[in-house]
Amino acid sequence: MVNTPDRAPDVSGPGLLLSARGLTKTYSGQRVVDGIDLDIPERAFTTFLGPSGCGKTTILRMIAGFETPNAGSLVLDGRSLSGVPPERRPVNTVFQSYALFPHLTVFGNVAFSLTLRRQSNVDVAARVRRALDAVHMAEFGDRYPHQLSGGQQQRVAVARAIIAEPHLLLLDEPLSALDKKMRGHLQIELKDLQRRLGIAFVYVTHDQEEAFALSDIVVVMNKGRIVQKAAPLTIYARPATAFVADFIGAATLIPGDIIDGGAAGPASIETAIGIVQCPAVEGLSKGDKAMLAIRPEHVRTGAHGLKATIRHVVFKGDRYLVEAEVNDVILRFMSDSPLTSGETVGLVVDQDRAFITRID
Amino acid sequence: MAPVFHRGQLAIPVTCILMLGCIFPLALLAVFSVFEVDLDAFTLVPAFSGQNWVQMFTNPVFAFLIGKAVVSGAGTAVLAAIIGYPIAVSMTRLPVLWKGVGSIVLLTPLYTGEIVRIYAWRVVLGSEGLINATLKWLGAISEPLKFLLFSPFTTHLVLLYNNLPFMVLAIWISAELIDKRLIEAARDLGARPIDAFFKIILPLTTPGLAVGVFTVFALAAGDMMTPSLLGGTSGATPMAMIDNLFGTAFDWPLASALSLSLLVVLLVFATGFVGVLLRFDGARAVFRRGAR
Repeated sequence: MVNTPDRAPDVSGPGLLLSARGLTKTYSGQRVVDGIDLDIPERAFTTFLGPSGCGKTTILRMIAGFETPNAGSLVLDGRSLSGVPPERRPVNTVFQSYALFPHLTVFGNVAFSLTLRRQSNVDVAARVRRALDAVHMAEFGDRYPHQLSGGQQQRVAVARAIIAEPHLLLLDEPLSALDKKMRGHLQIELKDLQRRLGIAFVYVTHDQEEAFALSDIVVVMNKGRIVQKAAPLTIYARPATAFVADFIGAATLIPGDIIDGGAAGPASIETAIGIVQCPAVEGLSKGDKAMLAIRPEHVRTGAHGLKATIRHVVFKGDRYLVEAEVNDVILRFMSDSPLTSGETVGLVVDQDRAFITRID
Repeated sequence: MAPVFHRGQLAIPVTCILMLGCIFPLALLAVFSVFEVDLDAFTLVPAFSGQNWVQMFTNPVFAFLIGKAVVSGAGTAVLAAIIGYPIAVSMTRLPVLWKGVGSIVLLTPLYTGEIVRIYAWRVVLGSEGLINATLKWLGAISEPLKFLLFSPFTTHLVLLYNNLPFMVLAIWISAELIDKRLIEAARDLGARPIDAFFKIILPLTTPGLAVGVFTVFALAAGDMMTPSLLGGTSGATPMAMIDNLFGTAFDWPLASALSLSLLVVLLVFATGFVGVLLRFDGARAVFRRGAR
């Protein structure tokens, strides 16, 4: 695991909420979660990001208490969660498919946790109203789940999960079943809600845009391990490994050798598209193999650049995504004009923004 | 291209079967029920009199027999539900392979045929049967327990045994269809396993429970063989009486009236039962959208 410097100052202040040490889960011999160490601060929005099967949902289910770790520990609020059943953890979950109770109204669903605790009806009604208000669903109390749209069901699921005032709210891909526009709306609402409530959110998604839009901290996972944990900006600008660079922002990865430069300052890497000078990466020095990562926004056309042949042009609405070949390497960039296949152009790589990463 | 049928045309076969197999015989029964028998000529006379129906309402034996069938059916259904429910719900927790084994074990008795099972019970419950012999050998009793065979106890034990699989199957399928995440959601929100059972599993299995109760009620209330072969003097049923009237007594009109009365009473109970069932949120939710 690589800890890159965190650029979100608002989460460094609060104390520790949850810590995992050596957390491991094995399904029929396969380590789905492989010895995770992780600290989650209070009041922060933390997102687990990774491809499907990377173990992110399993971590969430272990925190909720639906799965028992094979090894390692989870400590919440200074108390071990080992052997504590889900109903006695100060944690609530928003499920991927919402899991609303079909036989209960919206009111009944949201009030569920309160009715278990035998609160007075007046108190319950007031709190349900407040929770539904928080998700803009106050007028839907009498409806049944099947009478609601996906976005409305999602809001009810959130209201049901926050009403008991958990110390930690777990959200398992809660927006993945919604269309893009609704997803955008609800992202803003969720972020806003998290700030107002001051509850720590732990969010699981495979959608990097969603992770960046919501999170204070992004934890990138692959094959049961944490690959990088940092603020969104850091993750995007300085991916710790080639996997992160590739998973986030679809960079072109070009293998090469570091030929100059140390731990600090610029480093030079020799690749198929020539020698490129980039900011140095800790732990990589002269003679090491590494990857040069170039994103579409790091490339522009220019008269004195690399000689490239246009291969594909894809219309993206606002601009064109162009794939061009330079010495058998495909570089992608955005163009305002529709270039034609086979055309030769000069390409300039922005050497301050292109970056070097480790080979995984 | 395959021929395209109009929806109305697709209903023709089922309409024909329904008309021929259900409506027509019922209409025939209704017509017979207002006939009379001329015992001298040994023929049915189309008298169009209400004589049989007057008997149906005035002679208490008919009401008694029908009432007995209803109570017997309802009692068996309730007992089967109480015994079958835990079996069904625990079957949902088995690994897939054991679910297969479980369903085979559950259904095997049904393959043996009713008569075989009834005589098997005679062997087990008789005066010289397995249970009495064992108890005697153990010294627990000196005289054989008489109530074990040819009593209402025997009838209902065997009715229960014969019909329990239908109850378990119905509840099992309906419990199996509950989205497991609903249970997780309930636990997550603070429900202990027992709370999750009463607030989620029980409401969402009411349809299965209903189908089971409905099926067992119909089968047990309509079973003639078990009471007459195992119930001894208590084994009289409206079905046996109908059989007698149609066959030996040649009183088709009275048999028709009794058949129709039995049908109507059972239908009324069934309808009332469905009416009660549909008042439950769980049943309504499942019938609307399935248990998810």
